[in-house]
Amino acid sequence: MKPLYTFDETFDSQKIFRTLLEAMSNPGRKLSLASGAEKLYGACPQLLAAAMTLLDSKVSFHVYGSPELEEQIVLLTHAEKEEAQKADYLFVTGASFLEEAFRDAKPGTLADPHLSATLVILCEDGNEEELVLEGPGIKGKETVSLPAEAKKTLQLREARCYEYPAGVDMIYITESGQVFCIPRLVKREDV
Amino acid sequence: MDRYNYAFLDENSKREIRRSVLKAVAVPGYQVPFGSRELPIGRGWGTGGIQLTLSLIGPEDTLKVIDQGSDESVNAVNIKKFVKMCTDVPCTTRTQEATIIQTRHRVPEIPLKNNQILVLQVPLPEPLRVVEAREEVTKKMHAEQDYAPIWLQLYESLVKYKKVTIGTEYPCMAENRYIMNPSPIPKFDNPKLHEAECLYLFGAGREKKIYAIPPHTRVVSLAFDDVPFEKESFKGKCCRLCGSTDTYLDEIFDSATGEKYYQCSDTSYCREVRSK
Repeated sequence: MKPLYTFDETFDSQKIFRTLLEAMSNPGRKLSLASGAEKLYGACPQLLAAAMTLLDSKVSFHVYGSPELEEQIVLLTHAEKEEAQKADYLFVTGASFLEEAFRDAKPGTLADPHLSATLVILCEDGNEEELVLEGPGIKGKETVSLPAEAKKTLQLREARCYEYPAGVDMIYITESGQVFCIPRLVKREDV
Repeated sequence: MDRYNYAFLDENSKREIRRSVLKAVAVPGYQVPFGSRELPIGRGWGTGGIQLTLSLIGPEDTLKVIDQGSDESVNAVNIKKFVKMCTDVPCTTRTQEATIIQTRHRVPEIPLKNNQILVLQVPLPEPLRVVEAREEVTKKMHAEQDYAPIWLQLYESLVKYKKVTIGTEYPCMAENRYIMNPSPIPKFDNPKLHEAECLYLFGAGREKKIYAIPPHTRVVSLAFDDVPFEKESFKGKCCRLCGSTDTYLDEIFDSATGEKYYQCSDTSYCREVRSK
């Protein structure tokens, strides 16, 4: 049986995971997962590439704003669809869903901070803003130019006042397949 | 090995480990539980490190494996052979060439770069185990940042012996939140974890835990204001092979002559110095 995609679950997944790991270890650094996303199809191949790398039947997810992506994730990863408040991964396909996503995202507990949600956010290309980030993975303070969604999400996250180590981690993926991460300990400074 | 998946582990196992690794990087020093898999090697022989390496590795990587600083010891050679057999990645002994370095009990002498990952094999990931035997209690202690007993242990050591007597596995504080076990590296290597360029991943296969230190993370060895942290000193000694005075030295005792020799524990560094 010939699959509809050419994404290699072993080698493309490995490559995307290493990209995500580098991005998570070096917050604000922009990398590309376009070569993997190009091998997929559907509503948001960029987010689907991340889902193919991280999700399987052991974890749950919720998609905001794209029933098609939701269907594809179930089909390709066998991950469990879950209500947003309980989901391990939240896929946000538009800035208009961000407030809802942050309201819903589970932050884990002080004893089990790994039970928190990871937000995978689709960003528009262009319209970048400068942000000063600091925290683990960043040498001192670093000024980075990131899509507007990054600043908005950081404001929304600050408003939730999570008590570390509880919190949520964010993976941002642009339409062109660029990816960057902001884990829970990384903070912004007003420019 | 053709019947096995690339990098031995099945893709579901790798995915679980990869998810745990990302969480570990997001919460430096926190031990993320994971479902440790069976491997064709006994638990306690580096299975945590191997599982991390197998989940990370791809065709573009170059692997280095060391055991107590040596590229040639039995544990290092066998792990290298196993990973090579199921991935076909090139192996190296040169620290600068490797993208993934799996290690037991040492951090290489050459400072690692941002594109390198150091995977440490960890026998006992829980730094509080020496003061509390029950896992559910140590978990609660981490949650509440209740670290008084381990401070007390350090203090008692000072009172009894006039110095902190911990040799390896000297506890550190990651990002001013979690006390973590840096694995059985000597105290000499603890400062290398602080504000490093590279990513450190720690895997404990038997204890089923993964934790991490991302680059540029504050990692401070526990010490009192009036009794600062002290690493091993090799003052007045040098490597008998390369003459280095600023490396971690192994003591070798010749029972026939009763003489003591010192030589670099990091064999590839020692070899490089000699070849210059």
